[in-house]
Parts: sequence; C-alpha cells; structure tokens
Amino acid sequence: MKQATRILTVDDSPSMRALLRNALTTNGFEVEQAEDGQEALDWLASNEVDVVLTDINMPRLDGFGLIERLRSSARHSNRPILVLSTESSDEKKRRARDAGATGWIVKPFDAEKLTNAVRRVTHSA
Amino acid sequence: MNSEDIQNIFFVECEESLEAAEAGLEACRNGTHDGETINAIFRAVHSIKGGAGAFGYGPLQAFTHVFETLLADVREGTVAITDDLTGLLLLSLDCVRDHVEAARFGGTAPDDAALMAQLNEAHEKAGTADAPDSSAGGEAAPAAVPADDDLDAMLDDLLGPATPAAPKEPWLFHMRPHGGSMNNGSEPLYWLRELQEMGGECVACDSANVPPLDDFDVQHGYLGWSFAMPASVSREQVSEIFDFVGDDCALAFGAEEGIPPMHPDAVEQAATASVETAAGPVPAQGDDAGKEAKDARPDAAQAASRSPKPQSIRVDLAKLDKMNDGVGELVIAQAMLAQRLADENLMHIEELAVLDALVRDVQEHAMAFRAQPISAVFSRVPRLLRELASSTGKHVNLEVTGETTELDKTVVDRLSEPLTHLIRNAVDHGIESTERRKAAGKDPEGTLTLSAEQKSGRVVIRIADDGAGIDRERVFAKAVANGLISPDADLPDEEIDHLIFAPGFSTAEQVSNISGRGVGMDVVRQNVKELGGRITIESCPGKGTTFVLALPLTLAISDGMVVQVGGQSLVLPLAHVVESLRPLASDLKGMGTSRQLINIRGNFVPIVRLDHLAGEELAIDDPCKGVLVIVDTERCGQAALLVDSITDQRQFVIKNLDTHFRAVESVAGATILGNGRVALIIDVDNLVQSENAHPTLQAAA
Repeated sequence: MKQATRILTVDDSPSMRALLRNALTTNGFEVEQAEDGQEALDWLASNEVDVVLTDINMPRLDGFGLIERLRSSARHSNRPILVLSTESSDEKKRRARDAGATGWIVKPFDAEKLTNAVRRVTHSA
Repeated sequence: MNSEDIQNIFFVECEESLEAAEAGLEACRNGTHDGETINAIFRAVHSIKGGAGAFGYGPLQAFTHVFETLLADVREGTVAITDDLTGLLLLSLDCVRDHVEAARFGGTAPDDAALMAQLNEAHEKAGTADAPDSSAGGEAAPAAVPADDDLDAMLDDLLGPATPAAPKEPWLFHMRPHGGSMNNGSEPLYWLRELQEMGGECVACDSANVPPLDDFDVQHGYLGWSFAMPASVSREQVSEIFDFVGDDCALAFGAEEGIPPMHPDAVEQAATASVETAAGPVPAQGDDAGKEAKDARPDAAQAASRSPKPQSIRVDLAKLDKMNDGVGELVIAQAMLAQRLADENLMHIEELAVLDALVRDVQEHAMAFRAQPISAVFSRVPRLLRELASSTGKHVNLEVTGETTELDKTVVDRLSEPLTHLIRNAVDHGIESTERRKAAGKDPEGTLTLSAEQKSGRVVIRIADDGAGIDRERVFAKAVANGLISPDADLPDEEIDHLIFAPGFSTAEQVSNISGRGVGMDVVRQNVKELGGRITIESCPGKGTTFVLALPLTLAISDGMVVQVGGQSLVLPLAHVVESLRPLASDLKGMGTSRQLINIRGNFVPIVRLDHLAGEELAIDDPCKGVLVIVDTERCGQAALLVDSITDQRQFVIKNLDTHFRAVESVAGATILGNGRVALIIDVDNLVQSENAHPTLQAAA
C-alpha cells in the first residue's frame, strides 16, 4: 500500500479549512493546514508535502506571494501547487501561472473536483 | 466532523467577517482609506461569498458577489470613496447580515433587489462594466442565480451546462506538450494517464522529432500524441485537463487535424543540431552562438517572470577576511581615539558614543558574515551513525536540535574532527550492546542527542548518549595503573570523569577499531581548547553521558588581560586566567636555586617570571610586591605568572606575528593597544611548558 498523498491546504477561512479537510480526508488524502501564506511558508521550511493547495486572497502573504516564494527555493521548484479560488478570470490565472502555479480549481469545489485536480499533478490513489 | 459542524464554523466566521468589514467601513467613514483597510473589507466579504457558495446559500452568494464586485473596484481605485459610497457599503453590509441570519435560522432572505441595483449602478459608473471575475458568469444578474440551496445545482450553474454537448461518436484528439509543460511541477505523463482513464486510447505517438541523444535538450517537448476518445467524453471534459496549462501544451480536436507542430524554438534547436552533426565535429562558432542566444531568450524571459530574485551573493572568503581584518583595525583605531580623547578629558563627547555604537554594529555584522549554521557539521552525523551501525551492530537513533545555531566558519570547520571522535566514543563506549540494554530494561536502540544553542556569548554544544555512563571504577583503576593518580587519591566523581581527558588514556578493554585509533580524548580536549573552548562531562551511571562543549562565537576577537612587565605591556588570553593575587611571603617556597613555588590553598604552583619574555627586568623583584596571575595550562597544570601589575581587561584582535615578523616562542601573536603600542600576546601553554623543561637555563638567561 502506497503512502497517502499529503496535502497542505492554505486558506484563511476556518469553514473553508474544515470543508477542505473533510473533503480531502474522506478521499484518503493526508491533510495539513495553514491559515495564510506566511504560516504555510514557515511550516514548509521544516516539513514535506506532496501538494500545496492555496487560496489567493489571504492576509500577511497571499497566494501569489506564497507561490513565488516557494518557486524561488530549489526544494519547492517542482512541487505541485494548486490554486483554489472563487475567481476564474484569465487575468488571475495568468498571474498564477506566471507566479508558478501548477493548476487552478474554481470554488466552490466538491470532493471529486479536488481529487481530480490533485491526481492531475501527483502519483496518488 | 459532520457538515452541520462545518456550517456552524462558517456562521461563526461570517460573524467575524461582518465585524471586520464593519470596523473597516467605520474606519473608512472616518477617513482611513489605506489599502490594507479596504483589502480587509474586501477579504471579509469575499470570505462570506466563498463559504456561501460552498454551502449552497444562493441568495447570500448572489448578493455578496455583487457587493464584492463593487469592493474590488474600490480596491483597484476605480471607484472613489465618498460618504455616499461608504453609506451604501454599510447598508449592503447590513443586508449581508440579514442574509446570513436567514441562512442560519431558516428565515426568508431579505429583499435585496434595490440595494443590488444600487451596487451594480455604482460598479457600472466606474466604467468597468466587465465583472472583474468571470466566475460570476450569469450571476452578476441576480435572476440567474438559483434560489434553492442545492449545492449540485449551484455547481452546475457555475461550471456551465451539466451535460455539455457531447459528440455522438468517438473522436480524435491530438496534443503536444511543449517544454514549458514540465515547469512548476506539471507532469504531462499524468495528463496522458487521465486521458486513458477517461477511456481514451492512444492511437499515435509522433517521435520523429526526437534528436540524437547528444543533442537532446530536456527543456524541449519532442513527442506528440493522438488519442481516440469515446463518444461519452466531451471536448470540454478533455479541455479541462489542459485548462491551466495554457500555451505550454498545443491541442487539436477532430480527425481532420493532426498532431500540432513542435514549439518553434525547439524545432530550430533540433534543426541546428542536425546541421551541426552533418557539418562535423567543429561547429561554426557564429552559428553556435546565435543558436544559444536564441535558446537563451525564452529561458531568460521565463526566468525573469518566474525565478527567484537573488537572495545571496558569493564572496571569496579571502575578500571577506580582508574586510574583517579592516574591521579589526577599525576597532583598534576607535579604541586609540577613545584613549586619546580620554587623555584630553573629552571622553564623554557625544560623537564618540555614536562612533562607538557604529563600530560595534559594523563589527557584529562583519562577524556575522563568517557565521555558519552548525548544521554543516551536524548533517554529517547520520551517515557516521550508519557507518558505526554497520561496524558495531549498534543501531542508534539521532535527535538533533538547534542546528541553525551559528558559529564562526573556522570553528565550524574545525569542529568536525572532535565531534566525530566524541560521537564514535559515545556509540562505541557509551551506548551498550542491544543485549545489555534489553537486560537493563532500556530501549534496545540507543539514542544520541546533539544540541547547540547560544548562551551568554558562547555556543554550547551537547553530545548526549543514553548509554551506561562512565564506569568510574574502571577509569580510576586505569588512571592508577597509568600512574596518573595515586591509588589512595580521594577524587570526586566529576574529577574521575575528567581523567579520561588525560593524555594516552583509554578504557576500552579491547581497543576497537572505531575509537581506539591512537588519538584519545586528550586530543579532543586539545582541539576544543585550540578553538578557545572548553569541554566538560556530565555522566550518570546507567543513564548516559553528556559531553558539553562551550565554544566562542568567533576566533577573530578574544578577551585578554593586559599586564605590565617592566615597561612592557603583555596580553594574557582570559581563557587561561584562573585568578590573580598578591602572595604573602609565608606562602612562597624556594626549590633548588632557581625556582619558586607558591602555596595556593595547599597546592604548590610554580612561579614563572615574565622578564625574559618581555626582554625587560620586572620593576619589582619580590613577588610579594607584584601580582601573581594563576593560569591553567593544557599539559602542565597551573602556573603562577609574576607581573608588575594588571592594567586593563579588554577585547583584542589577534595579529599573526609569523606574517609580519617571524614566529617567536611563547608568543601567540600581537595586538595593538588603545595607546597605539604593540603588545605581545602570551602563548601560555608554550611558555609554561618550556619554563618547566628548562627552568635553570631561563633563570640563568
């Protein structure tokens, strides 16, 4: 049995975190959570994940900033980073792509949509 | 956690967001229009909207969407903040509150048509008729939002028609990932896999462009595929896979299309490569350069947009040391200036205090340049433990803390040897065999704990094992056998433990090939001493042993005691100094014709006169009129250095005598004092040792 895919979700909304945890754990993913980009960055400094799933609009360090900071370190340059956002404008997507995002999920989401998006970027069951 | 719990979290969050938004709007009304305030309001409403969407509260989502759209305008600055606007926003916020209450307690949603119209109007006035985010789809018009709470319906609505027009029969799909599709953690392999899982069948793979291995560039995509997709799969479903990949993967649909061509840059590269191959092994230089420039351009463009701003620069260590030398000189010059001003009674002028603070700052920063995390040493330990595990059969767990603690590079570099030795010792002698550990009721696997921390200007490194502890009886017996102590010596446990640092001491009954390499713990202690540090032991029988290393943060600057000998000033490194005293005549004992000893609390310590080193007679002849500085030495125990007086205690920068003059016995180097004079730094170990070896000669000289 392969080890479960470990996902770090970054979202400042407690209900969104609860929803994500619920949806992802019921699908067999291991879930870690951070409340904003800065916390995610600090946590990632000493921990490993398979996928990062981040919101865009957050206090302290937003999603674009988080992605840019992660891509600037060799350790995270190839880490799949998915953006989870209510927005889906081409302009925002382009910005995310330029920052180095791997994929984009439009909120609201359901478990299947999340699973598909994660599978698109990792070896996961 | 069930969905009701999560919904409750959402409502609590809504309350918090509403409060935050209200506070922000109040601040706005009172004239605070800065970006963070506006952004906080936006974020609060945005967060409610997100949750409303996720939980299927349609009316709330619809209203917050319109609200958010206007707030986005405000944030972008396209709508001016006026009293009317803040009024409208506050009213809208109240409406959100009503919506939330309705959603939470099952009441009827408030009538928000009029407010929505006002919000839309304000937004349209901004001239940005397009909603800034198109997830809205038809939502911007409230009518398009389904009023029911069904999440699926909501989803369908947001994602487009539930059953997109599907082709009636199997269809062909072509793709060619370009080099960029492998950036940022993307992996085209997963797309192929997803296509297969949808029921797609790979019917063709174009490998015609794959170049000879030598010309192969991993940054290019050389392969293209055609898939036959079943009728049940729609184009939209397939497109969605590639939605975010954008131009980095070329797509084509339908039998009439073929696999899209390779990326122009890659084609060019492939072409140039084959021309070069044909032309023979010597490629035309101009062509080559041109090709590289072209290849480099897309990379450079990518690098500019994606890659890291440089966070560090590399500096040649020699340059850094030169600068550090300069800083050392600066410190000295500053001290000289201070002394000069003190002579003129200008010690307390303000400029001097400013200069003092600046110099100290610069000095600290310069020291930080040389600072390196101790992880450079600690990171080698796991491998060492693996090697030890295979040679001793003892599996040892490693726990490391404080690996980010920083030390001078030289200290870090020179720490690895003593540390390796201590760890070998801990595994070899400290940690018991698995059987013995089991018998003692311990975890069969031993644990080694490494820690580092900064403590009062020093770095303290602890190497702790959870082994048997030092066998004091054996150490004692061995020390007696080696003639280090007399059999009837009454030593406290601590001193027995420290006997293992005595030269040539080894207790392993069988000298193993791990730690018994001829170098003993005395070498470890010597290494640590050379770094200006100290090593001590804390051992508890049955529980383990801890070696504690206290090391200086830097080697460039040390603390010293300035003493007078005749007209000369000499510097004694403070690390050696134990105490200083003026002896009573009754404590002095002569030995032979040339030596004197002093009785310090029952121990006789030889007195060493510094005349010959200073090249000047001591001003005093009778030790009772001078000062004796008791120093600790490496190999010769304690000695009492006779000097005229102690004049100062200060930090000093060590200047190497070898490079400026030549090596002088018993002199470690020189430094420049505040008055501008050069003072020699005494090599205490060397001085006392040579004094012990040839006392008569030196006394005669």
